[in-house]
Amino acid sequence: MNVFEIKKLTKKFGRALAVNNISFALKKGEILGLLGPNGAGKTTTIQMLLGITTPDSGQILYFGKEFFSNKGDCLSRINYASAFNTLQGRETVSENLTISALLYEVTDYKKKIKELVNYFGMSELVNARYNNLSSGEKTRTNLIKALLNSPEILLLDEPTASLDPDIADKTLQMIEKLRADHKVSILYTSHNMKEVDRICDRVIFLNHGKIEAEDTPLNLTKRIDEASLRLTYDAKQILVKSYLEKNKHKYKFEGDDTVIIETKEKHIANIIFGLSGENVWITNIEIEKPTLEDVFIKISRNK
Amino acid sequence: MSLNKIKAILLHELYVTKYSVEVINDIILFPLFSIIVFGFMTLYMAGFAGEVIAQHVLTGMILWQVINITQYSIAVGCLWDVWSRNLTNIFITPITTVEYLISYLISGAFKSLFVLIFASIMSNYIFKFNILNLGIANIVIYFIILTVFAFSFAIIVLGLIFRLGTRAQALSWGLLNIFQPLMAVIYPASILPVPFRTIAYMLPPTYIFEAARASINNKIIRWDYIGMALILDIIFLIVAITVFNLLFESSKKSGQFARLET
Repeated sequence: MNVFEIKKLTKKFGRALAVNNISFALKKGEILGLLGPNGAGKTTTIQMLLGITTPDSGQILYFGKEFFSNKGDCLSRINYASAFNTLQGRETVSENLTISALLYEVTDYKKKIKELVNYFGMSELVNARYNNLSSGEKTRTNLIKALLNSPEILLLDEPTASLDPDIADKTLQMIEKLRADHKVSILYTSHNMKEVDRICDRVIFLNHGKIEAEDTPLNLTKRIDEASLRLTYDAKQILVKSYLEKNKHKYKFEGDDTVIIETKEKHIANIIFGLSGENVWITNIEIEKPTLEDVFIKISRNK
Repeated sequence: MSLNKIKAILLHELYVTKYSVEVINDIILFPLFSIIVFGFMTLYMAGFAGEVIAQHVLTGMILWQVINITQYSIAVGCLWDVWSRNLTNIFITPITTVEYLISYLISGAFKSLFVLIFASIMSNYIFKFNILNLGIANIVIYFIILTVFAFSFAIIVLGLIFRLGTRAQALSWGLLNIFQPLMAVIYPASILPVPFRTIAYMLPPTYIFEAARASINNKIIRWDYIGMALILDIIFLIVAITVFNLLFESSKKSGQFARLET
């Protein structure tokens, strides 16, 4: 079941086409990654999904309802957190959360705030000014704010940007826990491909405002059939060199007993057996398969 | 209309005001000191220009604060959220634009009422001028008309900030001052050159300041002035809401609204 659906969404800024006729949907309980290089149209898409930028054409449906004619109802069931939006810095955590809870008309909001503050380990900081919090604490406060209305859909725009690896990992754990505990559907943007690979069920690649690819992270990486094969051997280097030359492989020696071969994934077995047939005793094999980052770079550079 | 959402914005305004020396300075201290300065000037003027003229000046300055504080409070109140990159967090909630603006109207009116009361007490004790001599009903009517005008003015400024971005933020504290000389705050509109006088009589506050002076001079209520101010106020309000909506929609269409915080 789709919790939101975008149909033929288009947005132009002057002559620049920021979002070009894109359509996609988010399923219930799914974490969907929205990726792309800077200027790909991710932020504009999210802004239209939040109703703060008006699309030129196309349709946004939340829970089967047209967004712009049911804005209040739709917005009460979704929420958003971003590393680039902050709460009011002069107010305390508790004051910021109270205001947000009232804006979403959360019933028994004091209890809800207390629950979430405990869940995110922020109970000691409720009276601290938001401006005085660390980046990680701000991120957690933003996530608490985003969960106050028990949203069915969460839009997260680079929530881990500017966080150190430890806090970023804890934030990802929280997002994973959120999905597990609350069955929240999440649209997630990030430039960190490792975290996208880790938490997203499906990924959409945007480039120049268009959807270039849409699949699971695993299937996307399978689209690149190249791999890097690193072999350590006990043999004369000339034997290895002549085999690789004869079979026209791209290679690079790393010392006297190691070679890195750039090849297609399907040729890996042939290379290993071929070298063994030439009396090269292979002592170690490492295969580096393409990552989501390679897919990102390939799509961004229109390879 | 949701009372919870209005309460949220009012609390937000209260917290920002409580924590911001700049806000307390701009909407409480600075207006009160302006009144003190003009109060002493009226004491000096009373010696050679007569007590009535001095009362015109002080009445004008006290009533002017209603427009000044309400307008400033609404326009700058929103800017605090732009500066702290919190505006998106408010506009992605189910709050409607009407609820948002009404909250700021209530907050602005409350702040100007507070200063009005405080300034009146202060001028009574320091300058022996009791603004209640204008009549409580009169003051209430003046206050409502001036507050509504300030609200109309502020939402046009807000619309311009939404549409043009923060480069237009100086309008929040500067634009009203351009119109101040035309509103005949401390002098009669009749002394203005004809073209300016024509503009002056198109602005509702001009009639209120004229009515207040008439009340001081002759102890009469100029219902004609009050009626005209009310009609113009309603026209201004309708125009302001229309202009604000057009600018706000245009801002969302151009992407400027989402870029306000960047």
